[in-house]
Amino acid sequence: MTASHDTFSDKMADAAIRATPEPLAARVRGLSDRAIAWLFIAPTIVLLLAINIFPLFWAIYLSFTNFRANRPNAVVQNVGLGNYSRILNDPDIWASMQTTAHFVFWTIVLQTLIGFTLAYLIDRKFRGHAFWTTLILIPMMLSPAVVGNFWRFLYEPQIGLFAYAVSFVSGIPTSDIQMLGNVHLAPWAIIIVDTWMWTPYVMLICLAGLRSIPDYIYEAAEVDRASPWRQFWSITVPMALPFIMLAVLFRGIENFKMFDMVNLLTGGGPGSTTEVASIALKRDAFEAWATGRSSAFAIVLFVAVFGLANIYVKALNKVKQR
Amino acid sequence: MSTSKAAPAVSAHSVVEPSPRTKRIAGALVILYALITLVPLVWIFLTSIKSPPDSISYPPKILFTPSLEGYCNLFTTRTRQTPDYIAALPPPSGVCDAVTRERNMVIAGPSNFLPRFANSLIIAFGSTFLAVSLGTLAAYGFSRFKVPLADDLLFFILSTRMMPPIAVAIPIYLMYRQLGLSDTALGMMLLYTAVNVSLAVWLLKGFIDEIPREYEEAAMIDGYTRLQAFFKVVLPQATTGIAATAIFCLIFAWNEYAFASLLTSGSAQTAPPFIPTIIGEGGQDWPAVAAGTTIFLVPILVFTILLRKQLLRGITFGAVRK
Amino acid sequence: MTDHTLIPGKSRRPFFLRRGPMEMLAVALIALGFLMLFQPFALVLYTYSFITLLAGTLMFTIVSKFPE
Repeated sequence: MTASHDTFSDKMADAAIRATPEPLAARVRGLSDRAIAWLFIAPTIVLLLAINIFPLFWAIYLSFTNFRANRPNAVVQNVGLGNYSRILNDPDIWASMQTTAHFVFWTIVLQTLIGFTLAYLIDRKFRGHAFWTTLILIPMMLSPAVVGNFWRFLYEPQIGLFAYAVSFVSGIPTSDIQMLGNVHLAPWAIIIVDTWMWTPYVMLICLAGLRSIPDYIYEAAEVDRASPWRQFWSITVPMALPFIMLAVLFRGIENFKMFDMVNLLTGGGPGSTTEVASIALKRDAFEAWATGRSSAFAIVLFVAVFGLANIYVKALNKVKQR
Repeated sequence: MSTSKAAPAVSAHSVVEPSPRTKRIAGALVILYALITLVPLVWIFLTSIKSPPDSISYPPKILFTPSLEGYCNLFTTRTRQTPDYIAALPPPSGVCDAVTRERNMVIAGPSNFLPRFANSLIIAFGSTFLAVSLGTLAAYGFSRFKVPLADDLLFFILSTRMMPPIAVAIPIYLMYRQLGLSDTALGMMLLYTAVNVSLAVWLLKGFIDEIPREYEEAAMIDGYTRLQAFFKVVLPQATTGIAATAIFCLIFAWNEYAFASLLTSGSAQTAPPFIPTIIGEGGQDWPAVAAGTTIFLVPILVFTILLRKQLLRGITFGAVRK
Repeated sequence: MTDHTLIPGKSRRPFFLRRGPMEMLAVALIALGFLMLFQPFALVLYTYSFITLLAGTLMFTIVSKFPE
């Protein structure tokens, strides 16, 4: 705002104040910009403090105690770093981290490969590409829980469509395709559903990356007689990389804390072969009711996600400048 | 020299304008992917209009006589009766009545689906309204005024969305138990508002940044206060952005499962944790589950198609505007 | 004093007070923390992954306040 505007509106306000009785005068002058800024932002901050930050500090406090939510009247003892030491030395929780790692790694690899390929193909701008793109995007908007639940039906060995289609193509009898019951197949059953659901997400962001590359760069490369292969590796991939990173980081955060789809598809089973970190945490917190210990576990997960979120926002700002 | 030779090369394999053959191959591959990716969704709909025996036949049936049994079972609870009892009843009063009697059963009453669906509607719309209202104010504050530590506050707001839901649910569970908010629509609404307000602030800040400040300044010269300018000039300009943001918040709250499954059990339970629990006499009643899933997904399908131009913005928190 | 404000910090500030390299270091620390958290080889690495992640995250928060 320029100085002339200020003086002008001040004059207006002064004139109005002189003409109106005292209580109204304050309203006509209006609140100062500073007051409005805080008045507008404060409700959001207060809500987040109440619903997110206060519980977080409560969880930090609980993580140093032996509190159990199913025995609220028992004496709460301070156990110092005991909970953290147990969580970080527990081979079962370590195993759940490896299960999570397997899930995060393969979903990211598959989604990035398929998503980028699809984006590249859609960017060839064939007729009707907008329509087909919209259709491809549908799965990612649906509820992972509700749709994931239905995948249990598709995965049924005898009556499910998935087992039938696989056995039709490969000749393996359907009774051998126990996607959710077999220890080796169950982790892949989850990876397939997640990839089906979230490849469109990666595709959409990669598409934005490809479209942000100006045509003249390719034209210049053509003039220099760079082969399409060379153009792809030295123009397309590096220029789209910040976008790919953005998608990978976000999918990484989301899948690191994945709960709903796994809970409905396998519930962590068979045995504990698909027990990712969130499922292990849920069992500890809401089935074993070891509230203090599970709070320590929750803080460990939270710090990991917070670290990734920092990097994600850095990546967001990088893409924003484009 | 180089230009005369480069000219044909550009038309042969230009990345900027691909050859018709490239376009055809790209189109065919994308359409193939789109068709495969839609199979599960088509299967949900087909299963919803199958009779239970058709739904579990081997091999899976593609051609079958449509039946309303799934939808009937979704909305009702039934009890088994002797054939004599059913023969003695007055003629069936509706389609569902007739379908149920063919299975030697009578309708005992309405199921829990409608109340759960209503909970989903109330909680999703309520939290969306709150999140968008708070988010619009905060976004305007961040967009127009120099807020101290703005970047940190914005990161803090976004990071609350990244927290693992199970980690948040432990202290929230205890807090709600103390406050009497467990299993209430109000509690879920507040929680979803807190999660959604971060998305709303980030998205709306982008939209409001795009509205030229000159509009408000002109209005303030005309004698409007800052608040009046906000309500009469900025808000109408931001309508599209607010609508898009609202739909994103609505979809999140509609789809949410982790909090709902841990914090609600009865009166405030939403549809996502309810649908997987629909069971018939011999285990899961898949046509009824599919019917519930179909009804649950249709609004999202409509919204996705309405939103397709804003999707990219939504999933990158407003960073990529295309 | 005028000297200091006129010339961009690059030449004046040692690298451990500049944002770019320190942010990279923090990112590397977070990445290392994740590797330690996820690896299946040694329990002791898993045990110390949390402190590594915490250090990386705190470091990132602090150094993001440094000037470029």
